[in-house]
Amino acid sequence: MTGNTWCYLFPTLRRLACIMGMLLAWNAHAGEGETLAQSNPETGLESWKATRHGVILELAQLTPDQSRAFFIGRGFEPAEAEHYAAACVFMTILRNEAAPSAIAYRLADWRAITADGRALPAKLKENWLKEWDARNLAPARKIAFEWSQFPSEQTFEPGDWTQGMTTFTLPRGSRFNLEYRWTIKDQQQKNTLKGVHCAHDVSSN
Amino acid sequence: MTLAAISLVSLLFSGTCAAGEGASPLIPLGERKPAPELKLEDVDGKPRNLAELRGKVVLVNFWATWCPPCRREMPSMQRLYQSLPKERFEILAVNIGEDDGTVFAFTGTLEPSPTFPLLLDRDSGALRKWPVKGLPTSFIIDKKGRMALRAVGGRDFDSPSVTAQLRALIDETR
Repeated sequence: MTGNTWCYLFPTLRRLACIMGMLLAWNAHAGEGETLAQSNPETGLESWKATRHGVILELAQLTPDQSRAFFIGRGFEPAEAEHYAAACVFMTILRNEAAPSAIAYRLADWRAITADGRALPAKLKENWLKEWDARNLAPARKIAFEWSQFPSEQTFEPGDWTQGMTTFTLPRGSRFNLEYRWTIKDQQQKNTLKGVHCAHDVSSN
Repeated sequence: MTLAAISLVSLLFSGTCAAGEGASPLIPLGERKPAPELKLEDVDGKPRNLAELRGKVVLVNFWATWCPPCRREMPSMQRLYQSLPKERFEILAVNIGEDDGTVFAFTGTLEPSPTFPLLLDRDSGALRKWPVKGLPTSFIIDKKGRMALRAVGGRDFDSPSVTAQLRALIDETR
């Protein structure tokens, strides 16, 4: 039985591993607004996290194979899953941990700044849904898709948070800094998650 | 597609620990507006109607089996359900877009297993009447059928702070 299997079967072990990971993360001590990069020792996948003004953003790589597996598990045809897996995909978590009041964000305002200075928006789920309509995606699949994606806009009171998949139209392995924004009491705030990169396709390994 | 990849994706989707539910309280909604309609069948085919639960405090939870925080918070919902009086409190957990077999396959793995009604919103038509942008989202409906509290993202529903909020709603007279 692999370590992964143990973690999956025994949530208490996973929770302990999470706590250990969090303790290690605290030891690494990223300052206010700074990016804390971590690598999962079991999977080799990387994640990036930053906290600023009580707002936490975390991106975790999803490999093309993981994206395929998720959507095939939701009934997608292989070609449909492949269409999604071709994008640069992250599991994304945004949390109003300790901001003094409600925050609001619009994913359309976030930009991936590439090494050559281009500023690229995320591919919103509304854009995906238009493509799925053109491909006649079955309704049940479309529902699973829509609700698995990171909401395009949201308002969070302190304690609220969300988790979902975000995509960028970038080649596998691309590196970028993510400039993300939110408002609090009509004041625009922003921060940068540095050194993010899209996962490589390891399905042939 | 390898089994290892599927295992990995399950682990990744279920194992994100940075977004722990913690003991964050539910958010009071200020002016309490009437809850939208919610009429669906549960997994046993029994019709359920939120409007028929006036006089009870009701937790309405929108969820899916593939949603990691939804999966994590459900055992705490069952513990909450067991700790509050049945004649004054109810939970309606509304599954989005899945079938009864998928729901049963998931709930059978839970400890404690849910005994509250699990509703099926196969086409997400009921969900779209509610102010929901992501899963999970939960609302607490007061005894007069109004939205009183809300939670965006998973919560630890049997934490002392959330339990106290619900007891206060159950006991309120306004």
